[in-house]
Amino acid sequence: MSTLNAGPLAVRTEEVCKTYPQDPNPVQAVRGVSLEIESGDFVAMAGPSGSGKTTMLNLLGGLTRPTSGRIWIGGDEITDMPDPALARLRLERIGFVFQAYNLLPVLSALENAEFTLLLRGVPSAERHRKVRELFEQMGMDGLEDRFPGKLSGGQQQRVAVARAVVGEPALVLADEPTANLDSVASAALLDVMERLNREHRTTFVFSTHDPRVMERARRLITLVDGEISEDVLRNRVPA
Amino acid sequence: MLKLAARSVGRNARRSALTAAAMVIGLALLIFSRSLAEGAHEQWITSAIRIGSGHVAIQAPEYLESGKLEHRIGAVGHERALRAVESVSGDQVLAHTPRLSVDGLASSAASALPIRIEGVDPEQERAFSDLDEKVEDGRYLEPGDRLHAYVGVELARRLGLKVGTRFVLTAQSAAGDVEGQLVRVAGIFRTSIPEMDQGLIHIPIETAREWLGTPDAVTTVAVLLATSRDTDRVVSELRDALAGASDLRVLGWRQAAPELDSALRMDDYGDYVFHSILFAIVALAILNAVMMSVLGRRREFGLLQALGLTGAQTGWVVFGEGLFLTAVSGVVGMVLGFLFTWGFFRNGLDFSGLVESEGAWASAGGMVDPVIVPTFHSSQVLLSLYFILIIGTLASIYPALRASKLDVAEAMKFDR
Repeated sequence: MSTLNAGPLAVRTEEVCKTYPQDPNPVQAVRGVSLEIESGDFVAMAGPSGSGKTTMLNLLGGLTRPTSGRIWIGGDEITDMPDPALARLRLERIGFVFQAYNLLPVLSALENAEFTLLLRGVPSAERHRKVRELFEQMGMDGLEDRFPGKLSGGQQQRVAVARAVVGEPALVLADEPTANLDSVASAALLDVMERLNREHRTTFVFSTHDPRVMERARRLITLVDGEISEDVLRNRVPA
Repeated sequence: MLKLAARSVGRNARRSALTAAAMVIGLALLIFSRSLAEGAHEQWITSAIRIGSGHVAIQAPEYLESGKLEHRIGAVGHERALRAVESVSGDQVLAHTPRLSVDGLASSAASALPIRIEGVDPEQERAFSDLDEKVEDGRYLEPGDRLHAYVGVELARRLGLKVGTRFVLTAQSAAGDVEGQLVRVAGIFRTSIPEMDQGLIHIPIETAREWLGTPDAVTTVAVLLATSRDTDRVVSELRDALAGASDLRVLGWRQAAPELDSALRMDDYGDYVFHSILFAIVALAILNAVMMSVLGRRREFGLLQALGLTGAQTGWVVFGEGLFLTAVSGVVGMVLGFLFTWGFFRNGLDFSGLVESEGAWASAGGMVDPVIVPTFHSSQVLLSLYFILIIGTLASIYPALRASKLDVAEAMKFDR
């Protein structure tokens, strides 16, 4: 277990296990992971395929329930939180970025990016202002009315990042966000996320096996067979 | 959420179009077949009640059950019935006619056959019934006729009668005696309804009254309305108007002609079965389309929940799509069904090629012209639309439940 008590915690897990029932042998995707992540950190979870990275992100995001152990997000335990409360917590405090962009194809870039604000009941004018500001910062201005099918992979992923951060969540979980991007688009995306992390103190947790992401992370957690094999602090800016 | 549902319908244009087409064709067929069935029924009713006792019949209370002359309406009752009929509001009453009916025997040198003898007022009967238009030979009765008879073609054949031939009618008079009356054939009719063609004779009502010893009497005052849908209202009005007359009973055609009512109900039952099959096909089409939509978009619904929608809200999105598709298709189907039926068949759909010989179908005392004119009832059209909406709603429930109970993490892995 790695404990870093330098600041308020964005995430805490205690002996978390996740087993998927499967004949003839159940699959143990995560085995007793205990972890603390500070608010404002920029963390990469690395490891080979099947090491439990995506399952770990799903557990932290409340998309799946642990078989055993406990999970806290910003001080609230989500282990047995009822589904509607969990949905509310995801809406208000967690942003997701997925590997395959996962934009809603029937909504324009702007509508996709503002979606979580819409669900929160933010007025239309404010939603549009926030998204346009973000798009401008991300070099996406002028693309607001395009539908996902008319955007490149890098542009789609930036829309997905905009959607994840526009509501200023405390935690952004990104599942291999650069997996489908070329090096230029990857670098641009990481620049955007680093800047958001720096300016808004948003906590980012990535799953990745992309060396470019690992290089930028300030903490690198390596998972092997569902267990933390290594937890390294790096790129830390001296206080 | 509504926008999302509507756009999802629009985005999957081919799938939505196929689903919509199933509903549109289903509803259009439904409206077409209902309007034809309504048109045929109306013709059938009109035909049967014109020859029979009208949309509304005023009789003595026991006459329907007994059919006997002793249960007749006297002069006072007849006059009261006529005043009541003339007081009916609106212009629903097209005609009315007095009838003096009795069961009897028709005898000639060739044979003797049981028959129904109707004493009629030739002039009023012409306005009421279309039997005068069914002349095969000779003519219909005319005012001033005395000992004339208008007989069915099959009866004439079996008794060996021709126009001008004399034969004898025998029946029990009001006094209880069996009385005979010699009449001469004025005309022979063909209705294609076997029971009419071999068992009905019209004679002048004055001749019948004199012969049977029932001066000024009638057994039925038959009332013809513009449409059978007015029957209940007119029956109610007449019952109110005749509330104090214990010697009179007002009957709607369903009561007065129960065999016709049964035949129509059986026909309706067949329609219901056909329409149920049609509805089931439409329901399966919707269910299939919405299910395919859910199964093919698990990841999208997983994403919605990952972003903060609850399972119930996701279910509502799917349900909304089903409803949206159903509502749009329902309205389009209704309009198309109406336009198709009205545009191509407003003058009637000709089934004469299916009729073997006489140019009409006969059943339960009525005839249906082979050219059926569709009849639209707004209530029927709205009922069809209502049912389609119900089916669309029900067919959307299961896919919505599936979407609401999605395993988000599994859904996000789907098709990766």
